Amino acid sequence: MRRIFQIGGEETECWLAHDGSRFVLNTPEGVLPCRLDPTTSPGGFVLRARGLVRDVRLAAGPESTFVHMDGRTYEVGRADPAERLAGSDGGASDDRIVAPMPGVVVSVAVKPGDIVAAGQPLLVIESMKLETTLAAPRDGVVAEIPFAAGDSFGLKDVLAQLAPEED
Amino acid sequence: MRRIESQIDTNAPDYKANFAAMSARLKEFHTRQHAARFERPQRDNDRLARQNKLGVRERLKLLLDPGTPFLEFSTLAACREYDGAVPGAAVVTGIGIVQGREVAIHANDASVKGGAWYPLTVKKIVRLLDVALENRLPVIHICDSAGGFLPLQHGVFPDRYLGGRVFRNQVKLSQANIPQIAVVGGHCTAGGAYVPTLSDYNIIIEGTGAIFLGGPPLVKAATGEVVGVQELGGAVMHTSVSGTGDYRAATEQHAFSLAREIVSQWKRMPKTIIETAPCEEPYYDPKELYGIIPKDRKTQFDMREVLARIVDGSRFHEYQPDYGTTLVCGFAHIWGYKVGILANNGVLFNDSSLKAAHFMQLCNQNRTPLVFFQNITGYMVGREYEERGIAKDGAKMLMAQGGSVVPKFTVIANASYGAGNYGMCGRAWDARTLFMWPQAEIGVMGADQAANTMADVKIRQLQREGKELTDEEIAAIREPVLERYKRDVEAYTSTSEIWDDGILDPVDTRNALAMSISAALNAPIDDPHYGIFRL
Repeated sequence: MRRIFQIGGEETECWLAHDGSRFVLNTPEGVLPCRLDPTTSPGGFVLRARGLVRDVRLAAGPESTFVHMDGRTYEVGRADPAERLAGSDGGASDDRIVAPMPGVVVSVAVKPGDIVAAGQPLLVIESMKLETTLAAPRDGVVAEIPFAAGDSFGLKDVLAQLAPEED
Repeated sequence: MRRIESQIDTNAPDYKANFAAMSARLKEFHTRQHAARFERPQRDNDRLARQNKLGVRERLKLLLDPGTPFLEFSTLAACREYDGAVPGAAVVTGIGIVQGREVAIHANDASVKGGAWYPLTVKKIVRLLDVALENRLPVIHICDSAGGFLPLQHGVFPDRYLGGRVFRNQVKLSQANIPQIAVVGGHCTAGGAYVPTLSDYNIIIEGTGAIFLGGPPLVKAATGEVVGVQELGGAVMHTSVSGTGDYRAATEQHAFSLAREIVSQWKRMPKTIIETAPCEEPYYDPKELYGIIPKDRKTQFDMREVLARIVDGSRFHEYQPDYGTTLVCGFAHIWGYKVGILANNGVLFNDSSLKAAHFMQLCNQNRTPLVFFQNITGYMVGREYEERGIAKDGAKMLMAQGGSVVPKFTVIANASYGAGNYGMCGRAWDARTLFMWPQAEIGVMGADQAANTMADVKIRQLQREGKELTDEEIAAIREPVLERYKRDVEAYTSTSEIWDDGILDPVDTRNALAMSISAALNAPIDDPHYGIFRL
């Protein structure tokens, strides 16, 4: 897999390799011989590629590298492939909040009919000396809260239900 | 490695309340630690000055490379024993840098009870020598002790891990080709005489240092012979007549420069090589840990938020992110050292226990040190889980953890209850270092559960005797039990008893772990091997 770079907001994939005698950049358009030689000035280099010779200055940061060439500065960012290619994870989230373990309801923060935002606390449960806050998985409307404070519940009991999403 | 995306809102009221609570706790901790290190009654300081001796902290300054870190262990040892009158258990121990080399240091603090050995002094010294053995660290002893504290001799002398263990460990260090130096800056009497004599090199400071099996008063009582300290065991006699001492130092400064010269001529052994990466500070501010740790111990929090403020670049490669989610496992770097991390995000279930066992085997196979972040209230109980074999799966986790050959390090970040402490590499499981955060608790169960259990037993006993109890009477039984238990599970009790290697300000955890890992790489890592897994 090639590395994914963002240059001026556009994504490009390439991979630097060595063919035994020189460095080559593998790009979607083909293989490109290139070389980069440092000069005596700080951050200064001479870039040779495709028969062209350019003076460049490089400044490398943790997130991206800045390249100064021909009077312009280009920000070259690197995208993490595992993140970039993960796609939209999750998809449609579940409407039901199911008990992760048996326990007791400590407090309930909402009632049926309430409008809730994603991440908003719905109820607090206690099990094994630990209080856990259960939050809304998405924006929506509370349809049902079957247990009240003080009630015991079992594993996988439904503790809260949101009204189905309307398209 | 990808960065953890923090969800923490530093403007949230909860965050601010937590931050305030932790700041208050840390203020108390730093005050107590400063007092244990530096605050002494004037008469004790006067006595040292009269004897022409430097204090233990000044001695360390002379010994250690300037500007290098000193990882001090158990600064608050004995803080809840002996009426608080023996700060630090009258001894300073830790890992420091001398001539660019990591060494373990054992230094008596003569400003506390003349450096006498109390039971916890012995425990602290034995622990330090165990650290030296496990990590193959050279040891520098700075001897200045009045000897065993006689009124508590039963807790100092006879048992397996008491006084004799100090000398036994010195023998084992020598046998393992790990060098030791003793700087004698006070009297080494009776058993204490064996610390310098079992060291490969010893230096006696003229005028203040002396070594003898029996001091002048004891000699007079035993044989009637009248003899002075210097003739009996001073620097001149031992370095020119008996050969018990190796080097005579004119002053303390001379003594420590000799010690440094000795270290500089030791052969440098190559360290174990593990995966490393260029070091990166955490992306998120470690100070935010104060607002992340809930002020109420029962409140759940995401341990990834903690990891994001400890590991390099806040980068974490999570292993099995969607399985056994109450245990977070994954790889990260700490000061460049690659580590495998296990961190609790809830109770240990069957799946999280299996995930732990599998992950630890993986780390052993590729020689990755393990770091445990404990916030564990136990393994899940109940019919459903027993039927699924929770005890069997817990045993697998213990077998993988206890059988690990890679170095292990433990941070008790919050709760450490019951068998969860075992699975997550508690004290009995040979973590190379184990630190606690100031609000953390350790016990067989939570305070409320324990108090209820103990009170119930008593109440039933009284009921059997035909007594009916009012609510007030029940509370009167329960409250003292609860108060006592709450104190017993506190970090200060743990650190007083040396069940850990010290309490840490959470922001210091990253450095303490890195120094521990670096020290551990002085020892080789064995090939993986285990006992029998109950499958």
